[in-house]
Amino acid sequence: MKHLTEEELIGRYYNERGGEGEDFARAEEHLAACEMCAETYAALSWDLGEVKVIEAPARDEAYGERVWAALEPKLVAYKKRRWSWLRGGVLRGLSYAAVCGLLVAGAFIAGRLSVEKQKQTQVAQTPAPKPKPRVVVVVLSDHLDRSERLLVELKHVDAGSAEMMSPLRDEAKSLLAANKICRQKASHEDDPALTTALDRLDHVLDGLANQPGGLNSAAIERLQEEMNAEGLLFEVRVLRSRNPDEHGAGINRPNGGTI
Amino acid sequence: MLRMGRNDHETIRAVLSGDKEAYGALVVRHSHSLFRVAFRITGNEADAEDVVQEAFLRGYQKLEGFESRSNFSTWIYRIAVRCALDRVSGRKVDERSRVGEENDPEQDAVQVADSAAGPDRLLLSGEIGALQQSAMQSLTATEQTAFVLRHMEDCSTEEIGAALGIAPNAAKQAVFRAVHKMRSRLSSLRVRT
Repeated sequence: MKHLTEEELIGRYYNERGGEGEDFARAEEHLAACEMCAETYAALSWDLGEVKVIEAPARDEAYGERVWAALEPKLVAYKKRRWSWLRGGVLRGLSYAAVCGLLVAGAFIAGRLSVEKQKQTQVAQTPAPKPKPRVVVVVLSDHLDRSERLLVELKHVDAGSAEMMSPLRDEAKSLLAANKICRQKASHEDDPALTTALDRLDHVLDGLANQPGGLNSAAIERLQEEMNAEGLLFEVRVLRSRNPDEHGAGINRPNGGTI
Repeated sequence: MLRMGRNDHETIRAVLSGDKEAYGALVVRHSHSLFRVAFRITGNEADAEDVVQEAFLRGYQKLEGFESRSNFSTWIYRIAVRCALDRVSGRKVDERSRVGEENDPEQDAVQVADSAAGPDRLLLSGEIGALQQSAMQSLTATEQTAFVLRHMEDCSTEEIGAALGIAPNAAKQAVFRAVHKMRSRLSSLRVRT
């Protein structure tokens, strides 16, 4: 049988007062069974029972006021805390809110800047496609080829045949725009032979396309004479043979269409 | 004019709002209980009164740190116990030094003053209280305070630890050591009866 230690007995003694303690039941059980521990505990109880509770000398009712009277001069009043509480509470809350607001705003701005930067990076990496100009490609050799055919038809057309007038006029109208472009390009490139030939061609085409009162036999004959006198057909053939490499090369015409 | 109608928490709020006089109500309300425990620990009226003054002074200075969910009486009680402990500690150090100076200067160990008279004479003169007092003086300041709180103030181990600023188990051990020493001192009394 394991006897109770002095510490356990002391603990049991004081716990007994309050009726509490984890080992109270075990100690109680052991004390009931163990005569030696019971005697030891009885001695302990006697000793501690002899230790009288020290009774403090009585203080009169005015004791507290005397203590205060002696103490009061040593104390410095606290500063008003009502407003400091408000400052401490409300301003602290406001400052927290301000900090939170700044953080949110900062995060928002940072996010926006990041997105903008990403967009700029993407833009820098993939340059924006320039507005694609409407390009009209006028191939000089084709134009000369078509002009030659028109001039051949004009040369051999029967001035009295009215049914042939309309196709001639339509083709002349179609060639007239292209001819102006080719003429401008030739003038730009300082090609006087081509410029002169296209200038004459322009005159003939204009006569065919825009003949006041419509094409008639008199106008056809006049244009035929004009064409033959100036050797325009021959000149177009020479130019066409001179520029075989330009076949497929084009002349850009802004705001136009493919001719 | 001290306002006594308010409870402790209302009074503390008033004090912290600048109403110094309100603290007087707390002093009047708790002075007696502080004096009681201070006297039990110090065993001296003058010291006990000084402890009460000092406790209320410390309490006032620390009042801003008082947590409103705490009990002011418990809070100021602990302060008073610490003040009393400090006073007893200082007194014991003085007594030990004085005893040491009166003895062999080459002796390193500080001797404890033993004011106990012979048990026969004490019993004959009926001064059992004096024997108990001498037994109390044989305790260290912490043991003495822990024993007073346990034996006379009915404090739990946790309350003693909180008042002394030590762990509950350390408080328990202090009580055990105090009881052991007290019994040794009082054993002669037991034999004679």
